[in-house]
Amino acid sequence: MPVPTYDVLIIGSGASGGMTARTLTAKGIKCLMLDAGPTIDYDHDRVSRRVYELPYRGFGQPGRFPHVTQADEFNANVWADEKQNPYTYDPADPYYWVRVRRIGGKTLVWGRASWRMSDYEFKAKDHDGFGDNWPISYSELAPYYDKCEPIFHVSGRKEGLPQLPDGVFIEDTSTDSLSLTRFIKAAKQREIPTTKPRRATGALASSLNLLLPDAVATGNLTVVPNAVVRRLTVDKKTGLVDGADFVDRHSREERHAGARIVVVGASCLESTRLLLNSGIANSSGVLGHYLFDQFYVKSTVQAIVPEARDGKGAPGLMGGSGYIPRFRNIDSKAKDFIRGYSVDFGSGGTPGAKYFPLYGEALQKAIASHGGTGFDATTMGSVLPRIENHVSIDPVVKDAWGIPALHIQARYTDNEFNMARDAMNTLDELCHAAGFEVLEKHDQMVPPGESIHELGTCRMGDNPKSSVLNRWNQSHDVKNLFVVDGSSFVVGGSQNPTLTILALAMRASDYMAEQMRAGNL
Amino acid sequence: MKRRQLLQSIPLLYASPALFAQSVARIDVSATDVAGKPLPGFFSPTQLAALRKLSELMLPAIGGSPGAIDAGAPEFLDFLVGQSTGPVQTLYRGGLDSLNARATAKHGKAFSALDAAQADAILSPLRQAWTWKEPTDSFAVFLRHAKADILTATMNSREWITASQRGGNGTYWLPPE
Repeated sequence: MPVPTYDVLIIGSGASGGMTARTLTAKGIKCLMLDAGPTIDYDHDRVSRRVYELPYRGFGQPGRFPHVTQADEFNANVWADEKQNPYTYDPADPYYWVRVRRIGGKTLVWGRASWRMSDYEFKAKDHDGFGDNWPISYSELAPYYDKCEPIFHVSGRKEGLPQLPDGVFIEDTSTDSLSLTRFIKAAKQREIPTTKPRRATGALASSLNLLLPDAVATGNLTVVPNAVVRRLTVDKKTGLVDGADFVDRHSREERHAGARIVVVGASCLESTRLLLNSGIANSSGVLGHYLFDQFYVKSTVQAIVPEARDGKGAPGLMGGSGYIPRFRNIDSKAKDFIRGYSVDFGSGGTPGAKYFPLYGEALQKAIASHGGTGFDATTMGSVLPRIENHVSIDPVVKDAWGIPALHIQARYTDNEFNMARDAMNTLDELCHAAGFEVLEKHDQMVPPGESIHELGTCRMGDNPKSSVLNRWNQSHDVKNLFVVDGSSFVVGGSQNPTLTILALAMRASDYMAEQMRAGNL
Repeated sequence: MKRRQLLQSIPLLYASPALFAQSVARIDVSATDVAGKPLPGFFSPTQLAALRKLSELMLPAIGGSPGAIDAGAPEFLDFLVGQSTGPVQTLYRGGLDSLNARATAKHGKAFSALDAAQADAILSPLRQAWTWKEPTDSFAVFLRHAKADILTATMNSREWITASQRGGNGTYWLPPE
């Protein structure tokens, strides 16, 4: 069989790889997509089971996922196997690297939160002097946000907040429950904004159903699952990438795929690992550096709405959810931290048994009494990009295919700790002002990485000496190499990053296509 | 059938459209929990007796609902902890031994032989307000984890779900190819 030729090789099939494929194939560009994982028949590879039919009654196989707190026994087969895909860290600084290796990537299981970033992130240095600005501004990405939101059927409510730009939403006109109304009023009295969640809607909101089918339908996309890319290959005469060596996950056959342009969208740290293992695109020396994410303080406050006890709440008292956008360091300056945090809050759950210092019949009565009375708020905070938080290739450890593994070094600092404490105290104050009873408050972050919002390590910038990519997600060193996922971030906010990743990938793809048309690539 | 005859028959079988059209009915099968009883083997007899007593106290049969004993929670945890990592095994074995040691020191008998009031005094760490920060005392850590595990093992059991008429259903992702 003659070896087919492709214009563009795309590595990864999640948000960024899927958006790249969708955008390029619509312009008639022939693409080959390699993904390290298997494909999925969403309707047939998922079945209804009762929890007691599972081997471990829902606990999951002990020790299978030491770093994936999101894994349960129902969804265990979604996540990348940690034994096949090892990584290392200093035991003093644990990092929870959560991965999905399937066609569709993490968009198969993401939380769907779809927020725009603003110039409080793109031009963060202008506001507080720390670090670097992005080379692009919000206005340059806004047209792409406008196009991405309808694809993902994002619902939301427009607020006119400069730190959380409005988008092209399915308008959320739902009313708030009485308990949420009290909380929102307490926030407003303190000049803290709130809004409705902004989420992708639909039965599934994934690259698998919203991006890849359109690309395949053009006849211009070939998707190859189970292709574990080992390295990118370089034409020694031109210095340009000419494809990738990969290994079949099952047969372990080694193969090479060629293309005029290579786009890496394998997820933040996998993309950087691939570039490091390929020994390219690092004349700046910053490849792997400036790793950050969002810190999470899960259930920063767990409260109850007292009058809802024993099912006595008035109709409409409980239920619903909302969001506090970043409000610190916008119009005023916080005492002991820069940047800010956001909060997801919800009403109507039942506090877990752990919150009641009881057992036996007394515990069961307490749980029954508090059914549906809960109010819960989780903090998501901005983490500063620091050069010392970085990834490198582990000199010893390799994955199941003999590919050198990643060593991750990341830790939070006082800016994040102080922000978390401020969030805890603020939420506690709001709950009391709303008439809620706080069962527990805390400021303990989950380990770095656990939010699954890892960003940076292959950042963009105008200066090739301090950045890996230019403003178009294009390598400064290798002109036909693009990296389109979260690794390209310079600064992240407290907003979930997926919508921005989608917009960046679409923008980079438009540029790529134009450069191809003009004969520059 | 000789090997040659068998080989000759294969192309004919594969060529038969009728054979492909034939459907084979699926048979219903059951999970292992309906077949016999578990055979605990990880904890010692005295540790298992303490775990049974603790389970009975954490979630007794109330009204029409089965309790932890009815749900086989102690025996399931014997299996689960036996499969777990070293630190979890150490936590459980140490915690159960501590229950017995405290009971013996105060009442001269094993934890499993205590009455409710005597046991309650030993379980006093469970009356402390829960915090995200784990206690420094390993016995308190054990009680915190054991309480959660006994509740989950019970409420995810066939007995509990059937009696409470909760669905207990979830979407299970089959292993990838």
